[in-house]
Amino acid sequence: MGKTCVITGASQGIGQAAAIRMSRDPGITGIALIARNADGLRDTAAQMDRSGKEIRCYPYDLGDLDGIPALMRGINDEFGSVDILLNIAGYADPQSLLDTTNDNIVRTYTINVFAMMVLIREAVRYMYDRPSKILNVASTAATTSRPGWLTYASSKAAVVSMSTTLADELAGTGIKVYTISPGRCATDLRRILAPEEDLSTIMQPSQVADVIATLVDDAENTLDGQNIVVRQKA
Amino acid sequence: MKIGMVVLAGGIGKRIGRPMPKQFLLLGGKPLLVHVLEKARAIREIDSVVVTCPPSHLDETRKLIENHGFAEKFSCIVGGASRQESVYNGLRALDGCDSVLIHEAVRPLVSVEEFRALIQAPDDNAMYGIPIPFTVLKGHDYVEGLLDRNELVNVQLPQKFDAAALLAAHEAARRDDVIFTEDASLFFHYADAPVRILPGSEMNIKITVPTDIVIAEAMYVDALGRG
Repeated sequence: MGKTCVITGASQGIGQAAAIRMSRDPGITGIALIARNADGLRDTAAQMDRSGKEIRCYPYDLGDLDGIPALMRGINDEFGSVDILLNIAGYADPQSLLDTTNDNIVRTYTINVFAMMVLIREAVRYMYDRPSKILNVASTAATTSRPGWLTYASSKAAVVSMSTTLADELAGTGIKVYTISPGRCATDLRRILAPEEDLSTIMQPSQVADVIATLVDDAENTLDGQNIVVRQKA
Repeated sequence: MKIGMVVLAGGIGKRIGRPMPKQFLLLGGKPLLVHVLEKARAIREIDSVVVTCPPSHLDETRKLIENHGFAEKFSCIVGGASRQESVYNGLRALDGCDSVLIHEAVRPLVSVEEFRALIQAPDDNAMYGIPIPFTVLKGHDYVEGLLDRNELVNVQLPQKFDAAALLAAHEAARRDDVIFTEDASLFFHYADAPVRILPGSEMNIKITVPTDIVIAEAMYVDALGRG
């Protein structure tokens, strides 16, 4: 039986690249794409390999935490299982401490941390007692000082912590948890964080997607909980 | 053959010195009770599982069962004033079962294989036991007698019994107003049937005092190969 992969942040950047990459995996027969931007989701779906696969778009704002249980239940009902969860959706609005508003703090943590936690909780309800994988995208900002990126960097640190803890808490259930921390990557989010940078010179989302595909492949069976830094070598 | 299981989760947290009953203490991030129920869920031969708990924690236990997805064959009832009464109430709730397993939430490191071996054992009535590695004497303030540890066994759970025979033994004990500390003793006393002793495991410890949870954490991490 083929697997179902759920991808958040699938309308652009690493999420879009991961969706395209996962559509080439013959072991995955169902892919659920989640993002706020419905047009972006359609654009992603149009670039995916649809042969033998069911691809569905779920336009959804992860800021609505209360709706996530129904969202995940619907995906499980429609596909018959949830086997892989790629938590890629991210939000960044870098500000210095004194310029950081409460809305900025709440929005950043809601998308980057709270929604991820709720998504994982709800996905695990359908993953129990079956080999399944959860991959959370953090950032190299999670583990290094980034003045001016207070909310974003600290929220990504929470992602690393969450993943490590969950890997231990879910140990023995058949569910493995990974974190990847991409370094500089050519995404719209990077454009916000470092607007002066030439994106063509740095790591591309497709390269990160290749790492994601390797990690969630059945053959990967030795890692669990580690924060894996993904950087382009010079 | 219809197999039922009683899981005793009747602690109120007195001996462990924590504000919550032992069955809710976390081991590896999960309540002790959940560790046991996960194993029961993995064994398809078990048709129905009844968790007995104190009335004060009925809602909390039911919520735990629901949250962790133990929906179908799991139920929760109020236990009794004693361990023995809780087993009795659990047995009555499992009406229609031919064989019954008895286990307790405070033995979270029991393995699926131990449950399977118990179910597959040819004997209708069986328990796990391990040798006693230390010397045991009779007495309190003074030594009053000797015991040969080679004749003794450290009783472990889970245990398996013919459901009707165990219920009858419990009813006899209730009539006599006699309390036993566990069911192999009660069954041996009242039922005219042998109880097989299967070799138990040092891993299957009972969480009784605060240091036990520290030891169990280390054993759990080791068992998962994450040490």
